[in-house]
Amino acid sequence: MSLLQPDPQAPSVWRDNLPVTSRYTYGLAGERFFRILKDEGKIIGSICAACGATYVPARAFCERCMAELTEWTDVGLVGELHTFTVLFVDMEGRPLDEPELVGFVRFGDGGILHKLDADPDDLQIGMKMEAVLKPKAERIGAITDILGFRPVT
Amino acid sequence: MNERVAIVGVGWAGFRPKTPDLSYKEMIYQAAVRAYHDAKVDPRTDVDSFVTVAEDFHEGTSIADEYTPDQLGAVMKPMQTITGDGLHGLATAVMLVRTGLCRIVVVEGHSKASNILTLDSITAYAQDPVLNRPLRLNTHMVAGLEMNRYLHESGTDEEACAAVVVKNRRNALRNPLTSFGADLTLDEVLAGPPLAWPLGVHQTARPVDGAVVMVLANEQVARSLTDRPIWIAGIGWCNDTPSLESRSWATLPYLEQAAHMAYRQAGIRTPFEEIDFAEIDDTYAYKELQSIEALGLCGFGEAGALLKEGVFDLDGAFPVNASGGSLGAGHLLDATGLHRALEAVLQLRGEAGAHQLEDVQVALVQSWRGVPTTSGAVAVLTN
Ligand SMILES: [Zn+2]
Repeated sequence: MSLLQPDPQAPSVWRDNLPVTSRYTYGLAGERFFRILKDEGKIIGSICAACGATYVPARAFCERCMAELTEWTDVGLVGELHTFTVLFVDMEGRPLDEPELVGFVRFGDGGILHKLDADPDDLQIGMKMEAVLKPKAERIGAITDILGFRPVT
Repeated sequence: MNERVAIVGVGWAGFRPKTPDLSYKEMIYQAAVRAYHDAKVDPRTDVDSFVTVAEDFHEGTSIADEYTPDQLGAVMKPMQTITGDGLHGLATAVMLVRTGLCRIVVVEGHSKASNILTLDSITAYAQDPVLNRPLRLNTHMVAGLEMNRYLHESGTDEEACAAVVVKNRRNALRNPLTSFGADLTLDEVLAGPPLAWPLGVHQTARPVDGAVVMVLANEQVARSLTDRPIWIAGIGWCNDTPSLESRSWATLPYLEQAAHMAYRQAGIRTPFEEIDFAEIDDTYAYKELQSIEALGLCGFGEAGALLKEGVFDLDGAFPVNASGGSLGAGHLLDATGLHRALEAVLQLRGEAGAHQLEDVQVALVQSWRGVPTTSGAVAVLTN
């Protein structure tokens, strides 16, 4: 087979797309995590005593030893900035007008990935960051109930 | 058990940013015909089983594995599709031969990336739907976060990452199977547009189209078909947790495990001494350094300095991505591991052309399925 002669009039492709819509069940641990975030404004984790690990967000089972996790703990709203990035493209790959600050804030042996509200020049790995929550009336039980994290002042 | 498995034929089509003239099936057909000619086998009579790697969302077709037999000569034959990287497909083929179930097995991987009009959205759909995806962030953020923490913990600097780009794109100038060969300076790479700071656009491989087909056989068949079989001395694979919340952001423990598995089979104890060269992950420039360390070629935090000294250059002590890698050739999506294995086979046969390395016997091949995965696969090949 050889290269076709380019002909702008020739039909060469068919276009199609698939709308994909899904529901994602939170599950036992997820439902509890998001209910407490919504109602009490708290971030909770779950503890595996055997592994000495605190999972944040809370989970129903330990990925290290497969134990069921039934011990819950409030880890507060202040964690440690483990790493961060400045994102210059949106979810579809288009350039952003305003670059977006994103960080991973460590709580226990887990943490929360979220947007950061800060001047990037002020950010340092290891600094304390606190979660900024939506007002209670606006919270729906989702990760977006957290608006983001900002440096503790 | 048939202990040894060899690659007895390779074929490819591409690799280039666009293939408007060929459908994906025609591209695979070209690669397959080339591989069967190279191996001197007839797929309709000689091949016992076929393995394809493909991902439905990349194919634009549900149950895409049903569309793989015809262009390979696999109609009315045993055939399976793996959702994984090409090295996962290679591992599956090795197992089919080693059990004795099959004498000759074909592995195929391809990318028709130019037909994927929403690749970033598809990749974002791989994020955790409840914890991460609601933030509506481009998935390159995972690489930006990982690179920043890797630089922080390892003491590696941004210049070392830029040096990976300079090396690989310069190597690509010698390799006709590449699209992004260039003679760049460190400053040009560092001054390039940012993507997910500290990661820049120039430090990120761009997707290309192409197909790779390999023919594998057990030792007896291999020796009857060719006088230059390339042996798969070891192959390993491993995944870490998918959770962004509990993975390591600086190191690749899953790749260390995959390497241990492959090295154990190949009897390798000191990889830097016993292996001659490597074709490994450089989807993002920092990944090459992180992978060199996880593969045990040096200690944690040492790869950047060694790279700047020229150890991993084409004429260095241990050439890494002499082919130009994914930064130089482009990224072949699910076929990327097979692309690296192909480059290793050509080197071990002495057919690499202008980027041929001298006197090489043992090759290391490694791949990663890209963000947001924690998936590693490693193969050791010998001639
Ligand atoms: Zn446990």
